[in-house]
Amino acid sequence: MNEQASWRAVAAATGAGDRARTEAGVRLAYRGAGLPEPERIVWVRSPLAAVRLLSGAAADDGEALPATGASVRDAVRNRPVAAARARLHHRLGPTGWSDHWRATGADLWETTQPLVDRVRTGVVEALAPADRKEETRVRLLLLDAVLGQHDAAWLSAFDTAPELDGLAEVARAAGWWWPYERVAVVAERPVELHRDEAGRLDRGDGPALAFSDGFALHAWRGLPVPGEFLDRLASLTPEQIRAEENAELRRVMLEYHGYDRYLEESGAQPVHRDETGVLWRIALPGDEDVVMVEVVNSTPEPDGTSRTYWLRVPPTTTTAREGVAWTFGLSAEAYEPLRQT
Amino acid sequence: MYRQGDVLIAPLAESAVPRGALDATSEPRDRRGRLVLALGEVTGHAHAVVGPGRLIREDDAFGPMLLHVPEGARVVHEEHAAISLPKGWYRVVRQREYVPGSVRIVAD
Repeated sequence: MNEQASWRAVAAATGAGDRARTEAGVRLAYRGAGLPEPERIVWVRSPLAAVRLLSGAAADDGEALPATGASVRDAVRNRPVAAARARLHHRLGPTGWSDHWRATGADLWETTQPLVDRVRTGVVEALAPADRKEETRVRLLLLDAVLGQHDAAWLSAFDTAPELDGLAEVARAAGWWWPYERVAVVAERPVELHRDEAGRLDRGDGPALAFSDGFALHAWRGLPVPGEFLDRLASLTPEQIRAEENAELRRVMLEYHGYDRYLEESGAQPVHRDETGVLWRIALPGDEDVVMVEVVNSTPEPDGTSRTYWLRVPPTTTTAREGVAWTFGLSAEAYEPLRQT
Repeated sequence: MYRQGDVLIAPLAESAVPRGALDATSEPRDRRGRLVLALGEVTGHAHAVVGPGRLIREDDAFGPMLLHVPEGARVVHEEHAAISLPKGWYRVVRQREYVPGSVRIVAD
């Protein structure tokens, strides 16, 4: 595995990591920042549990958190990262730095950052559903976190910076962690992570991201959905889909149910057909029509069958060719593939 | 114009190549020495170019990208048949899908 692929694996790793290795990394990060090692390292099972503990709840073993002292995130994480970045920036110049970032962390950042945002949102929703003041307090605690495995994009860009060795060690075996003067609180990685090919959280029959203490997030192709909603998906009828008022949820219902099944059950007729595919239209009350092209994959599956897939296109589309061309940003006239596989 | 799954590779006349592209930095090759046009995040399957050439990212992370293959090249993928490209410049476009209010990238 090359460096980039290994950091990509770090960002997506699940399951309990090596605690001894993590704790050694935590201590190394403190020492590297010129700080005394933390008196205690406390483990929790999720970022939610960490914020709860830091808010005064008892730990898993029933013990309250001892006095933590002030956050040392700035010394342990921000300053070493800034120093590594400044050094690289100085050596490579602005253009060189930008190229380096694109070649290393940029793509990983694109897929990891939404995950980080979702976890933050999930923690806020679980702990401060309606109280603005409480929400601010939770958000401030979340800002004290070092992102562990989710710092992989930055760590991949500064792979050779020795002052980041401690942070990198923790990232390889743990999730988010909270460094304070006297105590470090470290959260385990999730036990479940399901993503689609574009890297978005995606699962139809359970949480897309789940921690061992039950803290879980549900999503369909990146769209956050309630857990109960997914439970209903398996037994949907076209009537229930039509009756759903939330347009985003209705889209998920349609995708999950299967456009082909929905079209068949509702007796839909194709709008247009040509050598590029078939164009379908579903009228939805109170919403714009769903217009889709049905396309057959040019390369057969290993079992010899050809996979059919559906792509939603703008409602103004009138021909299948126009629809397929649009998916590549082209006009119907300009779309003329010589060879397709 | 060639299509491999969710990636379209459209020839670009030499005169239509943006001037900035000629001395822009190329995207790095992967560990196997290939130019990766699009990477599947979960399977790691990639639409990739084998052979000499340069890949230039025009703007955001999802492209489009410019591809220059001075001697021609092959585009390979784990699940799609390979495609031979004649020498020249190409614009590489990833397939997108309409979502009311926005647009999202397709990943196969």
